[in-house]
Amino acid sequence: MQSAPLPETMANLLGLDPEGPIVIFVMAIIASAVIASALLGLVAVSGIWGKRKITAAFTDRIAVNRVGPFGLLIIVADAVRLLSKELIIPDGVDRPAWDLGPLIMVFSSIAGFAVIPMGAGVQIADPEVGLVYVFAMASTASVGLVMAGYASNNKYSFLGGLRAVAQNLAYEIPLVLTGASVVIFAGSLQMSEIVAAQQGSLLGPIPQWYAFVNPFAFGLFMVANLAEVGRNPFDVPEAPTEIVAGWQTEYSSVYFVLAYLSEFLHIFLGGAIIATIFLGGPAGPGPAILGIVWFLVKIMAVYLFTQWARSAVPRVRIDQMIEIGWKGMLVLSFVNLVLTAVIVGVMV
Amino acid sequence: MSLKEHHPDVVDDVGVTEDGLDGDAIADLLGDNVIGREQHINAPGFVIRPDAVEDVLRTLKQEAGFDHLSCLTGQQYSDRYESIYHMRKYDDPTHEVSIVVPSPRDDPHNQSAASVYDTAIWQEREAYDLVGIDYDDHPDLRRILLPDTWQGHPLTDDFNQDQPQVVSLRKHANPLEQDTNHPDDPDTMLVNIGPHHPATHGVLHLKTVLDGEQVASVEPDIGYLHRCEEQMCQNGTYRHQIMPYPDRWDYISAGMLNEWAYARAAEDLADIEVPEYAQVIRTMAAEQSRIAAHMLALATFALDVYGDFTAIFQYAMRDREETIKLLEDLSGQRIMFNYFRLGGVAWDLPEPREEYFETCREFLAGLPDKLDEYHDLLTSNEIFQMRTVDTGILPPERAKEYGATGPVARGSGIDYDLRRDDPYGYYDELDWNVVTEEGCDNFSRVLVRMREVEESARIIEQCVDLLEEWPEDEREIQANVPRTLRPDPDTEIYRAVEAAKGELGIYIRSDGTDKPARFKIRSPCFCNLQTLEEMAEGEYIPDLIAALGSLDIVLGEVDR
Repeated sequence: MQSAPLPETMANLLGLDPEGPIVIFVMAIIASAVIASALLGLVAVSGIWGKRKITAAFTDRIAVNRVGPFGLLIIVADAVRLLSKELIIPDGVDRPAWDLGPLIMVFSSIAGFAVIPMGAGVQIADPEVGLVYVFAMASTASVGLVMAGYASNNKYSFLGGLRAVAQNLAYEIPLVLTGASVVIFAGSLQMSEIVAAQQGSLLGPIPQWYAFVNPFAFGLFMVANLAEVGRNPFDVPEAPTEIVAGWQTEYSSVYFVLAYLSEFLHIFLGGAIIATIFLGGPAGPGPAILGIVWFLVKIMAVYLFTQWARSAVPRVRIDQMIEIGWKGMLVLSFVNLVLTAVIVGVMV
Repeated sequence: MSLKEHHPDVVDDVGVTEDGLDGDAIADLLGDNVIGREQHINAPGFVIRPDAVEDVLRTLKQEAGFDHLSCLTGQQYSDRYESIYHMRKYDDPTHEVSIVVPSPRDDPHNQSAASVYDTAIWQEREAYDLVGIDYDDHPDLRRILLPDTWQGHPLTDDFNQDQPQVVSLRKHANPLEQDTNHPDDPDTMLVNIGPHHPATHGVLHLKTVLDGEQVASVEPDIGYLHRCEEQMCQNGTYRHQIMPYPDRWDYISAGMLNEWAYARAAEDLADIEVPEYAQVIRTMAAEQSRIAAHMLALATFALDVYGDFTAIFQYAMRDREETIKLLEDLSGQRIMFNYFRLGGVAWDLPEPREEYFETCREFLAGLPDKLDEYHDLLTSNEIFQMRTVDTGILPPERAKEYGATGPVARGSGIDYDLRRDDPYGYYDELDWNVVTEEGCDNFSRVLVRMREVEESARIIEQCVDLLEEWPEDEREIQANVPRTLRPDPDTEIYRAVEAAKGELGIYIRSDGTDKPARFKIRSPCFCNLQTLEEMAEGEYIPDLIAALGSLDIVLGEVDR
């Protein structure tokens, strides 16, 4: 199951020495570019077209169907539309911070994918602290949110930025703690090890995925992930009907695209983490080369779940959300961690 | 008093007799303050001394049970100004008195009623704004509909319509610069919610002072959609030119209900008898309108709490569409119906009648399932309950102070519905209930609307049955009304109907011409919106938004 990271594989394929620092550096850049492009393509399809179709299906509408087959060319039309809009820079914005905010958000979510084993050997790096790295990257986005909120010189952005911090603090800890319970099972922080530990069968045809081994942790993680990516019922940092668009109120044109992009990348990163640590990563029937397909299917399933929640669940109030995070989720995730430790300790 | 209010049977309110209200007893109660008597068509009028307003209104409120200051009309005569306080009782709105306060033409001012009824604060501001009457001791006498810089008072005969209005525009001024702090508390922040904001249901501006996420104070700033509706109605002839306007007040498909407000006032003013058949059609059309309006209220409330164009919003819009189609079949229009006529309706039901009845029945048959779906998705959703139960509290006593009516009042447990309490149309012949909820919160107000949809469906069903059985030779849709209507000079009337948002009243004074001398609209949304401060202060921003949504205001009707 263990395969070399993608840059090494590529170097080997090209007949270059993977031990050479320059070779591996160039190969890593190429591999990153390939994966980043694939991700952007994924966002383009699912963010611009898929989101509309999915939401429309939930809300009894049809959505885009005029431009191209199934309305797919709307992706092109929207890209042109969004990029050709005027970039409005409001008076008094704190320039470097205001510009950096969306960039950091996009960067943090793309960088997280570096350690995700997507199957078929697609994994740029496989450090021993992979899970910690991916959590760290995912939460760096909060820095971007705060920068965007503070620098926009807008009270709605400011409120949105504050809410984003409060929300991320309240949910990051349960998220990481629940992730840690998986680490106890797998005995490793390395992503490939966690995936490898989920191979085999738990009971008959049910695979030994941690979602089945510990459904409680899986549920906790899914909920915390909704808060992490800011979707209903936890979309308080944007809360369109309350604070207009929260931290992204003042962003237009390309910066809006970046903000929008980072949201979707973040959802996919959340989906990738869930797929990796709970759903067996690229595991699935068929040859190993199909792994990447299964992996994408799992990410899309998580994405579908967030869209479903968005269409059907009301938004909680900011104080209620903090309460759920600190008084409910945190306690539950500690309970889960301790129980897992005890169980693993007794069994092993 | 509270005991009396809850048991109307044991009240020995001053002046209440079996035949109605005894004006003499009320005149005795008010004593020397009364300097003259008038007779309005709807109620006895008492002319009182301008410096005794507070005294008179307090006496009437506390000793005669007139706890509802329904409307305040300011108007200008050639020799004087006049403020008319239309007062009625929440227990029995057919008990009405009009308190007429004259004030001198050269310096119009009289005492304010703001200390007796909170609703007078806004209503007197409006009279000051449009007519120019000064109210002494008013806590906050500013313009309310027009900009602060406006010159003159437009509903006076010496108002110069051609004068340029000075609106000071300071170029590049940052409107946020000065207001970052509340003067009393440097930790607070002023946020202008609106006039362009996703949740203000139109162009409403809430000057909100926030302490963190909590609302320290909120002040609605209205008038962005002021279209001079009262003046336009004063420039139209009774017979045909006014009827299209009501559709544009509460333009959320509640047009039929609004038209009925004008029809009722004008018909009573000109003494027109409406054929029974037309009344049944009106009742049916009005309730279809109410369903459409409540569906939209439900949809937008879900939008406010959910945050996106989510399932509930779209479902409610889909189901509203069905009633709109029924109304379109009936009137030829989807929103701006213009279907009522003085003395009846524009035309009979669409042919073939059977098909129309069939469509109506199909809609009614499908409705319970749809409502169940809303209850599944909305009212039984725990997060929804978390958000709405016990937020935006409006206690019944405060609701009455503010003159709240409609689902807002009924959500606070006030059993007040003009369809039953001051019957018109065909309502008193039909079997239906007034819905009230005791929760006084956002949840109750939503629930009241959802249950009212069921009651409206019952009314429509009975109307359809009646219309189907109606003998063909008795289908009279229109009374005989003169081509030009000239009600008797110096007759005055205030009449209200239960519109989608509450008591929609119209005051008309006739001067013997074919156009009203004064046409005043009592908007339920205007009065209901005033309760927002009561509900939102001390709550979180999301609850402010939810409270605003649960009020179900339409700015077209607030600003007129």
